Amino acid sequence: MCPGVSPLQSFDMKPYDNRAWFLVLPALVIMTFVGILPLVAVTNYSFQDLFSLNNPYWVGLDWYRNIVRSERFYASLARSFLFSAIVLSIQLPLGIWIALLLQRSHRFIVSTVLVLITLPLVVPWNMIPVIWLNFINPNAGIAGRLLTWLGAGFDYKFNALHTWIVLVVMDTWHWLGLVVVLAYAGISGIPAAYYQAAAIDAASEWQVFRFIQLPKMKTVLSMAVLLRFMDSFMIYIEAFRINAGGPDSATAFLSLDLGEEIQAFNYGPSAARSMVYFLIVLTVAWTFKAATSTRAPVALEPAT
Amino acid sequence: MKSLTSILRIALFAGIGAFILVPLAQTIITSFVSTLPRAGIAEGHFSLVNYLNILQSPVLKQSILNSIIYVVLNVALCLGVGLPAAYAFARYSFVGDRQLFFLLLVFRITPTVVLSLPIFVLFAQIGLENTPVGIALVHCVFNIPIAIWILEGFIASVPREFDETAFLDGHSLPGFFFRHLVPAIAPGIGVTAFFCFIFSWVEVVLARILTTTGGKPITMAINALFGFRTDFGLVMAMTVLALVPGIAMIYFVRNHLAKGFVIRT
Repeated sequence: MCPGVSPLQSFDMKPYDNRAWFLVLPALVIMTFVGILPLVAVTNYSFQDLFSLNNPYWVGLDWYRNIVRSERFYASLARSFLFSAIVLSIQLPLGIWIALLLQRSHRFIVSTVLVLITLPLVVPWNMIPVIWLNFINPNAGIAGRLLTWLGAGFDYKFNALHTWIVLVVMDTWHWLGLVVVLAYAGISGIPAAYYQAAAIDAASEWQVFRFIQLPKMKTVLSMAVLLRFMDSFMIYIEAFRINAGGPDSATAFLSLDLGEEIQAFNYGPSAARSMVYFLIVLTVAWTFKAATSTRAPVALEPAT
Repeated sequence: MKSLTSILRIALFAGIGAFILVPLAQTIITSFVSTLPRAGIAEGHFSLVNYLNILQSPVLKQSILNSIIYVVLNVALCLGVGLPAAYAFARYSFVGDRQLFFLLLVFRITPTVVLSLPIFVLFAQIGLENTPVGIALVHCVFNIPIAIWILEGFIASVPREFDETAFLDGHSLPGFFFRHLVPAIAPGIGVTAFFCFIFSWVEVVLARILTTTGGKPITMAINALFGFRTDFGLVMAMTVLALVPGIAMIYFVRNHLAKGFVIRT
């Protein structure tokens, strides 16, 4: 390493070597098999009428036309966006706030809280609604009996607002841990020197958060936003089990429409729908990349 | 003032703990209650009957074994192919590296339901349906990106001089990987295994479509318990058992989570 080059600079200037492809090849082979091939197949199905897989009939863009012309698609899209917006606006600030409080706490408290808050992450997704339905059951559940006793008139089956509340609370219960763990990972990576400098400048708590912690957490938080957005946007099993999209389609999200079609083995239409959803994913990922790539150093580009 | 804020903080943490634990507590309690009329046990009273029923059911025991097989295979596979790939991303730039990283990101966030139909058709054609191996393979679609993403952060935080010294000492690349790199980033491997484990363990959409007639993991065996007269005690006992490996994993990585692991995008 030449003298005078800062460690950070040398870190960013990675040697250019195409033999590195051999190292990524095994991963790429598996990804091709389980990701790219199915994607090619689904693209192919989406242009065909497949009453049986051996008897394809080319229908061109018909299935796509059906989707973009149906009001139901836009209604589901709007509901999914609303759900993601609510979920993010609750879980993100709450997760960051908990991580900030943890950072000032004793080590024992930190590990206890982190262990507790990650517990729901290891619950199989089909059991999360079972646990919650049991919990809010008006006859047997702790929350259900409490709400009945309070006279809240809680009815998650026929009151759309109540179904939404159950889904949002359940999703927060399920995923808050991921946001906290990621935010905490970001905060604890900040060197003590930053805080010492802030203390010398007599910075307020808000200033420390705004100008030190938040910028330093930007990378992990953007990942948390991306993961939470996509997972809530495409919520499937949990929402389906709670009320099967009801009452009166009030919680019919995008994935529930697709799941319905796959269950009926409508190959063509469900393939087209899968492609539409995949294009949404691609747009989100691209937007995310464009929004976060500003930090990528120019030195990464190979010399031309 | 100082003590007041710390009391409030503890109160908040206690509130969060209660929010997480109370729904789970009810599940655990139900698992110890006989929920169907049975000879000799009063309905709704404490009993170990649900856990004894699991022990006596070959189907349920097999499902626990299936789950363990597929999840161990998946974690091994993701670490095995993820480590060299993460090393490549952390240490070199090469043609298409950014495009490849973007591709991984896209597949990580693609909802499994989008890929489930073609995966079902593809795996049925090559005989990988109804077996834990099929699930282990298919869960790589979201776990390989996770593994590469986390491991890349850990490897990048190891100074490059570390590699160069090992190579000067005459280590080959595989020798360097096993004798130097793996021990140096052991916490990273633990954290990666943890995330691969939980995302694979809890996934149900692909696991369901691939195990319609056999090879069912715990999640699908629980689904099969629902019927005309569902034994909720048994369902909850299976759910509690399904939590045990995950809780053990959390316990093993708790200090790394508490220290905050290295992560970059």
